[in-house]
Amino acid sequence: MTVFNTELNDWLGSKFLNEVPMLVAVLDAERKIIYANDRFTKKFGEWANRKWNDVLKKEDEPRAKGEIDRCYEDGISRKFEETLAHRDYLMVHAIPVLDLKGGVTHMVTMSDDITDIRTEQMECAIFFERVPSYISVIGRDFTIIKGNDNLRDTFGECVEKKCYEAYKKRDAPCEDCPAALSFMDGQEHTATHVGIDREGGETHYVVTTSPLIKGYKDCQYVVEIMTDITRFRELEAEKLEAERLAAVGQTVAGLAHTVKNILMGIEGGMYIMSSGIEKDRRDRIQKGWTMLQRNIEKVSSLVKDFLSFAKGRKPELKMVDPDDLVSEILELYTETARGIGVTLRRGETCRPGPAPLDPEGIHTCLTNLVSNAIDACQVSAAGEPTVEINAREENGALIFEVSDNGIGMDYDVKQKVFTTFFTTKGGKGTGLGLLTTYKIVQEHGGKILVDSEPGKGSIFRVVLPLERLNAMISNK
Amino acid sequence: MNTEAKKVLIVDDEADVLEYLSSLLEDNGYRTLTAMNGKTGMEAARAEKPDLICLDITMPEETGVSMLRQLHDDGETASIPVIIVSGVDPRFKDFIENRRQVSPPAAYFEKPINQGEFLAAVKKTLA
Repeated sequence: MTVFNTELNDWLGSKFLNEVPMLVAVLDAERKIIYANDRFTKKFGEWANRKWNDVLKKEDEPRAKGEIDRCYEDGISRKFEETLAHRDYLMVHAIPVLDLKGGVTHMVTMSDDITDIRTEQMECAIFFERVPSYISVIGRDFTIIKGNDNLRDTFGECVEKKCYEAYKKRDAPCEDCPAALSFMDGQEHTATHVGIDREGGETHYVVTTSPLIKGYKDCQYVVEIMTDITRFRELEAEKLEAERLAAVGQTVAGLAHTVKNILMGIEGGMYIMSSGIEKDRRDRIQKGWTMLQRNIEKVSSLVKDFLSFAKGRKPELKMVDPDDLVSEILELYTETARGIGVTLRRGETCRPGPAPLDPEGIHTCLTNLVSNAIDACQVSAAGEPTVEINAREENGALIFEVSDNGIGMDYDVKQKVFTTFFTTKGGKGTGLGLLTTYKIVQEHGGKILVDSEPGKGSIFRVVLPLERLNAMISNK
Repeated sequence: MNTEAKKVLIVDDEADVLEYLSSLLEDNGYRTLTAMNGKTGMEAARAEKPDLICLDITMPEETGVSMLRQLHDDGETASIPVIIVSGVDPRFKDFIENRRQVSPPAAYFEKPINQGEFLAAVKKTLA
């Protein structure tokens, strides 16, 4: 647009400039303001006979050529940003007014106060860079368009790489990609993944993917916000190890006690047997021999339990049908249970799909829980002592449940069931079964819930979040 | 069996221990009774008035400590001497011997016992 100075008086004479929803000022050839509308006056105060730069409080600025000087020089209109004192920002449209020879006689400036927008942009930028998370913006083809410093520090330069390359050194998208879901349904999705950092180390993170336009299915960009939980995972492992060590300490004390009792039994057996030999009494010899056998069996079961507890072996996950594990346990124990008048059967089941489990570990857990339940039934007065076992999927978790209508537990016992060498079975228990179970379940990222009432029975639930199991198997 | 023989009550939750100690004591001329927890032990102590009680500490239902207290509180059983035969930590020996509320046991044995020392202590206590 070209404005000639012959038109200028008409402009100034009309009320038009005052109605423009911008800050308007007209400058003469010397940059002095000769007109300003009410909006401009309200923002900058007195302007008559003052130069544009002075009014904008740019005195401290170096006298380098500004954009407005260029407009004066070449007579071309421009749009540029002016930073004022106190960090205010103006978006200025400068329109030179020319005489008939093409010289600039005046300058019409129309400005927008963009301070709020700039402040928000800066806040956003600070947030983007400084938030203690990895943030990236990715396109539909999983190319990273933008990433923050944190992301770069951990994964190296990521922009223009595919996210699966940058975070996981993979050459194809991840099977459980939350961003793909967000592109598909326009909703937010969250997943826990394990990446590989620039130094080749494991980085565990929780990632939330938000479509840039929420609810819009054809959204072109997704923002990925990743929270690093590596340290958290390490602490978890350290805590587990510390608990194991503490338990080993208690265990040594408890072990000594248990061993003393067994030794007492062995010495008893030896005494009765040798006194039987001395007195030539076959019944005594037989009795002593049985005592010896029984106590030696106790040693072997103690050692077995103790080793499986102390080993601290990492669960070896493979895809297993949970129902098959349940069937195995049923096969193993149904006869034994029937022999002592307890019915062992499969509870209501809804056939959960295969899940990543350490079959040996879970087998041990279920064996412990079922044999406890059978014991609990044996000492109860229930009419039809019954133990039920089932597997099901509920709220994203795989659940194994062992319930009995046996003797049940009071508050005190419930508090102690998972501590070392706690046993209510006198000489029959080693006090390691549930503790081992607890440990195996913990190593699967799960927990055990106990529900019990004295005289009514107990329910033990092994709850294994599938998301964690999947993450564990994909880390392998 | 000698009717003059002294009567010893053995309280322990392990059948093998009961079998062992009663055989050992009977072979050495004592009469024995057995109980598998503090509750039935207390009943036997009241009913049979044994001359000596061999008591375990950790037992289900009622422990040896609680039985020891009950023996002490009951006028009829307060004078019966007690020998502790237990697998618990030796520190427990100091604890039980220094409790004010209950008179200290006549002797304290950690499992597994030394037969000679055990028999000597029984003999000395019953002398």
